[in-house]
Amino acid sequence: MSDAREIALEEVTVRLDGRSILEGVTVRLDARRIAVVGANGSGKSTFARLLNGLATPTSGTVRVHGVDVGREPRRARAEVGFVFTNPDAQVLMPTVAEDVRLSLRGSGMARAELDARVAEVLADYGLTSHADAPVYSLSGGQKQLLALASVLVRRPRLVVADEPTTLLDLGNAQRIGRILLDELDAQLVLVTHDLELAQRCDIALRFHEGRLVAVGEPAEVVDAYRREYA
Amino acid sequence: MTDAPRRRFDTRDIARIAVFAALIAALGLIAPIPVPGLVPITAQTLGIILAGMVLGAWRGAAAVLVFELLVLVGLPLLAGGHGGAASFVGVTAGYLIGWIPGAFVTGLIAHSGRGRIAAWRVALGGLVGGVLVVYACGIPVQAAVTGLPLGAAALTSLAFVPGDLIKITVATIITLALWRAYPPVFGTRRHRHAEEPATAQPVTR
Amino acid sequence: MIALHVPGDSVLHRAPAGIKLLALFVLALAVSLYPHDLPSLGAAVGVVVALHLAALLPPTTLPKQLWQTKWIVVVMVATQLAFLTPWDALVNTVRVVSIVLLAGLLTLTTRSEDLLEALETGLRPLTRIGVDPRRVGLTLSLAIAMLPVVAGIAARVRDTERARGVRLGPRLVVPVLVLALRHADDVADALTARGVD
Repeated sequence: MSDAREIALEEVTVRLDGRSILEGVTVRLDARRIAVVGANGSGKSTFARLLNGLATPTSGTVRVHGVDVGREPRRARAEVGFVFTNPDAQVLMPTVAEDVRLSLRGSGMARAELDARVAEVLADYGLTSHADAPVYSLSGGQKQLLALASVLVRRPRLVVADEPTTLLDLGNAQRIGRILLDELDAQLVLVTHDLELAQRCDIALRFHEGRLVAVGEPAEVVDAYRREYA
Repeated sequence: MTDAPRRRFDTRDIARIAVFAALIAALGLIAPIPVPGLVPITAQTLGIILAGMVLGAWRGAAAVLVFELLVLVGLPLLAGGHGGAASFVGVTAGYLIGWIPGAFVTGLIAHSGRGRIAAWRVALGGLVGGVLVVYACGIPVQAAVTGLPLGAAALTSLAFVPGDLIKITVATIITLALWRAYPPVFGTRRHRHAEEPATAQPVTR
Repeated sequence: MIALHVPGDSVLHRAPAGIKLLALFVLALAVSLYPHDLPSLGAAVGVVVALHLAALLPPTTLPKQLWQTKWIVVVMVATQLAFLTPWDALVNTVRVVSIVLLAGLLTLTTRSEDLLEALETGLRPLTRIGVDPRRVGLTLSLAIAMLPVVAGIAARVRDTERARGVRLGPRLVVPVLVLALRHADDVADALTARGVD
């Protein structure tokens, strides 16, 4: 794997049953924190899903940190962590520790090392006391923290988050935002409707009706987006 | 659009199997509907028939198997909060086991229309899989466990048949409604590109 | 996990789950196949009582378990008296009830997690015919995690029905199915994204 922290899309088009969802997107990104904004149905989620192969381009190529995602989706997924909007759909095991452990399945790690890594990440996100608790007993915010912990325990080089704060209350949203923007030791693609959060990134992309219409300073991109609806 | 015995289930299949197993459990929470003069109808067996009708033979049977393994290891998921290994050694053990091939045959017949769901095939599947196959497994085991002659065991299970017929009718109606409301589930779409999780997906036939 | 298991520290609690499951099958088979007379029936009942004592469960457990089998007893005695002699009816009923109690004891003394693990281990020989025990284990755990989620979906649909003042009856199942299966598609994406497949 090259050490370049680069996401590169080359003339990427995604069509589904004749309907165009993304059209001719070409972009190179090496900023640490990348915000993605746009209306519902603008193509921003599809852009996010292209980065780990959940969506596949009809034409064009997607390269993430040197890996061609279309050709080697498994290799890409090993490097790309994905945070979904709804933690209920992402937290997959009955108890907290089991869910974190699931992420390390097939990592070939020794049991002791695995246990240590799980304990460490649970401590990082304040979930240690809930390690053996059933997931359904957690609050929405705790569930999203767990979802994040389960992603970050794999130490991904890129984290893609698709509206991770949409379902959370203000306090939890701020906490998740702080972890992703300030504490994360990986590149970040943050799809969000929270324009405050978007403005705190290093670069922003805006999608509109399947096209990438703006790339640049977050403040400028967000301002232009706001003006459109003023 | 077939539910052919592929070498292995993909993540979409696994997710549907797990969710359907949970659904069968949830249906066990609904209080039995009393039928005057007959055995009360429980919604759980409705879930067994639906598993075959909706998911097809292989995935449907797998969902029922997963549900029953959870019961076997001690989760109180059978209607009325029962569960544990005891359920598999009692009088009704054969019926419980019969649910698995029952769902399989239901799905086999219901999905035999090459991607088209027709009421008569769905209902026939329910009748053959959900009643004939289940009773074919249940009655001999009941006879063996209780020491009754086969005919006598068959006679005692007749009380359940009217309820089963009602359930098949209800399950068929539900399946056809689901076919209109969410057709992708009957197929095996591998990838989903829809922008929003909530948008309806186009049908592929 | 809500289960029927009662925690404890007896020999039976500590015995490996797989061994207990095997022992149950062997005992159940023995009790079923042995031609019954008074001494053998007494022995079967004796084994059941002795094992319950060995499990060091609260003293009310066995009567409670016995009470749970009341429907089996009622159904068996009623149907059998119509076709068989009273002695045969008694023998059959005692036999079935003792097996059910043995199986119940397995459930009482074994954590579900341990039984799941035993199942996964037991499936290993099937790897050759294409069964992947780890995938089976994953599906079982996933189903357990989905129990409260699906129950939540059902509760939400019921609330919506009430809020809108309509009564759907059995048709209530349709929106529950749609929401649950949509949820399954999101879960599938998460399985893929987390590299579990």
